Amino acid sequence: MLTTAGTMNAAIETHGLTKWYGQSRGIVELDLRVEQGEVFGFLGPNGAGKSTTIRTLLDFQRATSGSAEVLGLDIVRDSLAIRRRVGYLSGDLRLFDRMTAAQHVAWFARARGATDDSLTASLIDRFSVEMDRPVHELSTGNRQKVGLLLAFMHRPDVLILDEPTTGLDPLMQAEFDGLLRETAAAGRTVLLSSHSLDEVQRVADRVAIIRDGRLVITDTVQHMRANAVRVVTMQFDRTVPAAVFTAIPSVRHAQVAEHQIELRVSGDIRPVLEAGLANGLVDLAARHADLDELFLSYYRRPEAEDPAS
Amino acid sequence: MNTEIVTLDLSTRRKSIIGYSLGMAGYVVVVVALYPSFKDATNLDQLSKDSPGVAALFGISGSLTSPTGWLSANIYANFFPLLMLLITIGYGATSLAGQEADGHLELVLSLPFLRSSVVAQKVAALALQAAAFSAIVFGSAIVGRAFELTVDFGNLTTATLAVGMLGVDFGLLALAIGAATGARGTAIAISSAAAAASYLISSMTPLVSWLGSAKYASLFYWSVGDRQLEQGLTVGAFAVLLGVAIILIVVALEAFRRHDLS
Repeated sequence: MLTTAGTMNAAIETHGLTKWYGQSRGIVELDLRVEQGEVFGFLGPNGAGKSTTIRTLLDFQRATSGSAEVLGLDIVRDSLAIRRRVGYLSGDLRLFDRMTAAQHVAWFARARGATDDSLTASLIDRFSVEMDRPVHELSTGNRQKVGLLLAFMHRPDVLILDEPTTGLDPLMQAEFDGLLRETAAAGRTVLLSSHSLDEVQRVADRVAIIRDGRLVITDTVQHMRANAVRVVTMQFDRTVPAAVFTAIPSVRHAQVAEHQIELRVSGDIRPVLEAGLANGLVDLAARHADLDELFLSYYRRPEAEDPAS
Repeated sequence: MNTEIVTLDLSTRRKSIIGYSLGMAGYVVVVVALYPSFKDATNLDQLSKDSPGVAALFGISGSLTSPTGWLSANIYANFFPLLMLLITIGYGATSLAGQEADGHLELVLSLPFLRSSVVAQKVAALALQAAAFSAIVFGSAIVGRAFELTVDFGNLTTATLAVGMLGVDFGLLALAIGAATGARGTAIAISSAAAAASYLISSMTPLVSWLGSAKYASLFYWSVGDRQLEQGLTVGAFAVLLGVAIILIVVALEAFRRHDLS
């Protein structure tokens, strides 16, 4: 969407968004910006405040302070207009047990007043959604597919998905990844909340990590991967002292075992290779950049605190 | 006005409403069909004269064998309002607080519904359930005309309306408490306690002098405790029942507008 000034509006933007439940922390001073047309990964351990943020954006609850806009619309004042243009999948999806998926789809279509029949049909086909059995008879994964269908079927401009791949088998996850890429390619926006990096890194352009209600970092996946710790194992024709490598700035840790040395490297790999060649390197193995390691370092609390939910 | 939520809630409660209605219709038809066997049983009247306290507990006052006395003592003063309240308080507590606990309210509110529209539709669904149940009882009572149980048509109509409104009022109380607290149990407990107190005050007032004007605080008095079957629903009583409903709707709207979904 273009504003009168001609600049791109953010799909989602929060300003110091804060939510306290009495004395209990929800989110604190959250400043988040999700651009239109991107898949934005919203990551954090359980209880970090991901769902709190989403529930505030959708006006299920009111912020204690701060403000936010979705598609340039105020989340409280314009909530109705926002919910017309948003597709939402709850992290704790509760469908109407005795209704079938077909009945859910029909009811959602009436409630929204608009829907895209051909898109709905293609999604049903693509995800093999079981349409004619009461949803309480379906497995978790099959119920989740109904939830995805309900979130996508009206071709919303913004999708807010809270732990969307719960229970999906790998085949369906791949299908889902494809759907997210197509959605973003069509200029629509996805806020993908998850506690699993694996889920997010396959599809997200950028990620934000939230911990204890506060934003820790917002970055591109590519950039994070470049800074992630790689484990490099080298074999030598002699014993090499660890100090040769620990002196290199990008080496975080070195462990020597006879002629073998295992390094944790973050950043530039070239000085490591040069040092290896200069010291009788005979073999080398490097594991793919491990974002998990990086992630855990962000997830871990600086010091022990009361676990807030 | 949107009606999707009305349709959804009525369809999910369809079975229980039909069950209540069939049971009540059967009971009412049996009661009216028995009337010819009891209408000359003056010893029944003696019973209520001799033990007015016991009679009052069942909402009985005055003659048992007159057509209005018979209908009142067996249906309108007790079973009809009781079952009506089971339906309306049950739905009132479920409609917001219960659905919130089940996670269904979140699903509904993720769609483009204003909170006020959600409340308005819940109120409409509540009123429709009370109306349907009232209509069943009314229709069954009309059958009594074939069994010498002739009650003035207008009075029967307004007395039935009064029980329907009583149900709506207590259902709205449960709905409003649920909207404010999100707690289904609390909504049911407070509303049921209020209804029980209201019933006792209305039925005991004729016997217990110190209760005096407390009856005016009882919705039962305004709907069934003032000989409505004999003299119809007064404009004043109608205004009270309607006024309470309006106040509770306003409270529910405001409470739900402020409520954080849990």
